[in-house]
Amino acid sequence: MAERIFESDLEAWFADAPPLPDSRLFAARVTRRLDRAWTLRRVVIGGLGLIGGVIGGAQMLSSGLFGGLARVQAQSTAVTSVLAGHLENSPLARSPMVHDTLAGLGAGGSETLLMSAALALLAVGLLVTRAIREI
Amino acid sequence: MADPAIVVASAHDLDLAALAAAGDRPAFGELVRRHGSSVRSLLRRMGAEAALADDLAQDAFLAAFEQIAEFRGEGTFVAWVRRIAARLYLRRWKRDKRIDLTAETPEPLDSGPAASPGDRIDLDGALSRLTGVERLCVSLCYGAGLSHAEAASALNLPLGTVKSHVKRGLDKLRAHLAPRVPVEAGIHG
Repeated sequence: MAERIFESDLEAWFADAPPLPDSRLFAARVTRRLDRAWTLRRVVIGGLGLIGGVIGGAQMLSSGLFGGLARVQAQSTAVTSVLAGHLENSPLARSPMVHDTLAGLGAGGSETLLMSAALALLAVGLLVTRAIREI
Repeated sequence: MADPAIVVASAHDLDLAALAAAGDRPAFGELVRRHGSSVRSLLRRMGAEAALADDLAQDAFLAAFEQIAEFRGEGTFVAWVRRIAARLYLRRWKRDKRIDLTAETPEPLDSGPAASPGDRIDLDGALSRLTGVERLCVSLCYGAGLSHAEAASALNLPLGTVKSHVKRGLDKLRAHLAPRVPVEAGIHG
């Protein structure tokens, strides 16, 4: 019994450590290291994201994606024109809805590309803003 | 609206740990302020020099912040960090072999009794009379809350050897702290 009491006292004595004189300084040091590690992590994550974005963008450019898109767009316009030519003489083309749709099919190729480019620029802008804020 | 600094300062450890788990670093800073001395003292009592104890205590708190989602509030926060710190010290100890497991009991600086009944328990003085391995075993089991089996596993020693070291260490501590023990024991009895 006395042994158990001594053991539980010992646990209490271990737990009851007197505050060390430089305890505030110690806490400040830990907080500083914590802040540094946190900032470093955010910079690394943001930096890796930026590098990934740049590499991805470069890959897209080097693979001729935009040229391919433009070719597809041109082919699509040509096919649509041929189709529209065939349909023009059919009775279906007399319907106003079909007529408007056929008229709109040929246009819009360059607008789509411009809108995609604008969205891409917006995404890059957001990425750069975020990276600056992280740093 | 209440000042956040006051709210943090008066919050319970478990609430602060929950805030820290959500990424609140000021809340974790408060936990460090509250329990830094306890963790550093344990490492010193285990045998670490003051500078090493401080470095390891810092590492323990940083590791605690990283792993705070694993703290489920089953024990106290400080006990959890003390265990992390003890394991870090053991890892360092295994790497550096700072303590000679075969070392004999050091000569005590004075052979007189410990503190007088009215004084604070001189646990550090009493621990200094133990051999390195006795001190380590006792600190692990009674300071860091490891079981004998966990301490044996952490130290790569047979369980029986750890139990022997703990028993010898307790006997020496009891002998040294004897003048004070009946007073403390009276609280329980």
